[in-house]
Amino acid sequence: MKKFIFNLTIFLIYSFLIYLIALFIWGNFAPNVLKPNLKYPIGSIGNLNTRLKEVKTVSDVDILFLGSSHSIRGFNTKAFKNEGYKTFNLGTKAGTPLQTLTLLNRYLNQLKPKLVVYDVYPVTFEMDGVEASLHLLANDDIDYYSFELALKQNHIKTYNTLFYGAIRELFRQNESFKEDAVRDKDVYYSGGYVERSNYYWQPHTFKSHNIEINKKQLKYFESIMKIFESKNIEVILVYAPISPLYYSSFSNTKSFDSLMKSYSEYYNFNETMRLNDSLHFYDSDHLNKAGVDKFTPKLIETLENRK
Amino acid sequence: MLFNSIDFAIFLPIVFVLYWFVTAKNLRLQNFLIVVASYVFYGWWDWRFLSLIIFSTVVDYSIGVLLSKEETTIKRKMLLWTSIVVNLGFLGFFKYYNFFLDNFISAFSFFGMKINSNSLNIILPVGISFYTFQTLSYTIDVYKKKLEPTRDIITFSAFVSFFPQLVAGPIERATNLLPQFYKKRKFDYSKAVDGMRQILWGLFKKIVIADNCAQYANEIFNNSNEYGGSTLVVGALFFTFQIYCDFSGYSDIAIGTSRLFGFNLMQNFAFPYFSRDIAEFWRRWHISLSTWFRDYLYIPLGGSRGGTWVKIRNTFIIFIVSGFWHGANWTFIVWGALNAVYFLPLLLRKKNRNNMGDIAHGKFLPSAKEFLSILMTFMLTVFAWIFFRAENMKHAFSFISNILSSSFFEMPNFNGIENAITVIILVLLFVLIEWIGKTYQYALSCISLISSRFVRWSVYSVIIFIMAMYMQTEESPFIYFQF
Repeated sequence: MKKFIFNLTIFLIYSFLIYLIALFIWGNFAPNVLKPNLKYPIGSIGNLNTRLKEVKTVSDVDILFLGSSHSIRGFNTKAFKNEGYKTFNLGTKAGTPLQTLTLLNRYLNQLKPKLVVYDVYPVTFEMDGVEASLHLLANDDIDYYSFELALKQNHIKTYNTLFYGAIRELFRQNESFKEDAVRDKDVYYSGGYVERSNYYWQPHTFKSHNIEINKKQLKYFESIMKIFESKNIEVILVYAPISPLYYSSFSNTKSFDSLMKSYSEYYNFNETMRLNDSLHFYDSDHLNKAGVDKFTPKLIETLENRK
Repeated sequence: MLFNSIDFAIFLPIVFVLYWFVTAKNLRLQNFLIVVASYVFYGWWDWRFLSLIIFSTVVDYSIGVLLSKEETTIKRKMLLWTSIVVNLGFLGFFKYYNFFLDNFISAFSFFGMKINSNSLNIILPVGISFYTFQTLSYTIDVYKKKLEPTRDIITFSAFVSFFPQLVAGPIERATNLLPQFYKKRKFDYSKAVDGMRQILWGLFKKIVIADNCAQYANEIFNNSNEYGGSTLVVGALFFTFQIYCDFSGYSDIAIGTSRLFGFNLMQNFAFPYFSRDIAEFWRRWHISLSTWFRDYLYIPLGGSRGGTWVKIRNTFIIFIVSGFWHGANWTFIVWGALNAVYFLPLLLRKKNRNNMGDIAHGKFLPSAKEFLSILMTFMLTVFAWIFFRAENMKHAFSFISNILSSSFFEMPNFNGIENAITVIILVLLFVLIEWIGKTYQYALSCISLISSRFVRWSVYSVIIFIMAMYMQTEESPFIYFQF
């Protein structure tokens, strides 16, 4: 029996080493079609790589923006800067509460925000968050929180990306990587904001959709709120505008609103702003520059009025 | 609890440690641990169904004890029939009630009579078809005095509920498994290593081959009206590998897990797709069920003795019952009947035992004749699987008629075809390994011949890497759980 357990342990170590070597070879040389469970989206849409490099140089902010791509593309840090605020936008593409929790564990003590504005797009509470985890693992340093993220996600793709990322870090393969500030239709601005101008959505109707909250994501969201509470950081929850057509397809928004209100001060801008489906959005749920230009003054006004 | 789940990955080492380190000195305690672990394993799905297993256990245990005391033939027969009625009664209610009710109503409607009756919303308890047959085999063997009844309820409960094979077999005979619970188990290093190897191979079959094939088989079968004939053939081929790797993968994990605990279960699959005729296929496919029906149904009915009509009758009975065992749907019955049609010519011409020896004996490649026989048998099997997989008979016939259209000669095309090439390569690799290891209990067993531990471990590690790279990411239950 002792021999069995000993050999099994040695085999598991050996097998893990082979896995790492194979991961390195496969990750670097195999075409994408041959690695369905290994994604390494370094420098992907949303400029996460640049944002996470920049955040390491920032501290003591007035406002920290959190959330998904709605945060990245909705909270205009350069406009806030013009108003005299020091802000940073730490949103992640398709980011769910799980990725936000990881980022907060990693950067909150350094950023020391006076106020947090957190975009709570209902769909991010429904998702499993695998895609966003892969983005985070591929674009930030691998540390304790990366392992914690992979374990909480518990998905083979996140494990593969985690270990592949660790190998790349070991061989300094990412050091030379530089993300362009202007990519295709997007422009990245210092502070984490990404802008897309002059692109307009062609509206179409949606089937009615009931928001079904993933219990795990709600649990992570509650952990986030507890962190803020323990550090006495003010939090404002925001449902940033999405196209009115898409917004109207959600059948239980009211119950989502009351859930959010139960956690903190909450503003659903879809109820208080009148935006045009095409003019202010580049797709069904992302503001274009014209939309952000209308939303930002309203957001600043809301924040200032509450003082 | 699914074998391919994190829950099981935690559960198995815990039970293993408790089994060999805490309870090893006391056989009764070890058996008791198996019962508790098995009930936890089963109750993980729905604890309410535990009552069914416990009831079935108590009934068959009591009947076994009573049979040992009773010498009168009539009373012994009554006891046997009590067991049969109770066990098949449960199975019939949970599995077939709605089927019979619906067909009963349809039959009366056909003759212009209207019957008002409501179907019940019955949930099929996982594994009921498997453990019912296992307990029945015990009572029948005790009745026939082939087996001494046990007077130890713990041992009997462990036999009925033994978690590795509880929900999808192999359907063990009491004569093979029960005596193993009486003997003190000693940890056997090579047996445990072999068990681990078989678990690895079973997992590979399930999460890499079966689950990947399933996504394309489901896509094509679920949208069969939108696809041409050649694509439907590809869909049937994907299902052919899905069902084999899903079910035999489960059996491998079950047998491997049992070996970790010192038990030997029967081989359930012996490379059926390399069969040279349908009779050989049925000696190699779901062996524990085929032999169960042979021993407890076919032979008591007279088997292949008697006249031509008796042979035909018995063949159809055993295949149709076998089909019906799989599920309450006409598609399964037709699948069974179709196999009877395939099998009968061999039986009537006394050629059903022609291919008893090894395939490609002593050579790596089969002869041209063998290859053609294998190909023909495989094609017949693929055709029969269409009925097995179809939602209903209408679906099966429309699927087949679409295959037989001019679109059969077009290039296959379906959603996700660009990624299917990887799956096809994996299937071909799998077939090659199966071919190399076809003379063993399971294909990967051939690795044990390699003396270098470094090479063996490297092969296992590569398999683990392939699993990590190509496994389907959603946990999916085994197909045979629904039976």
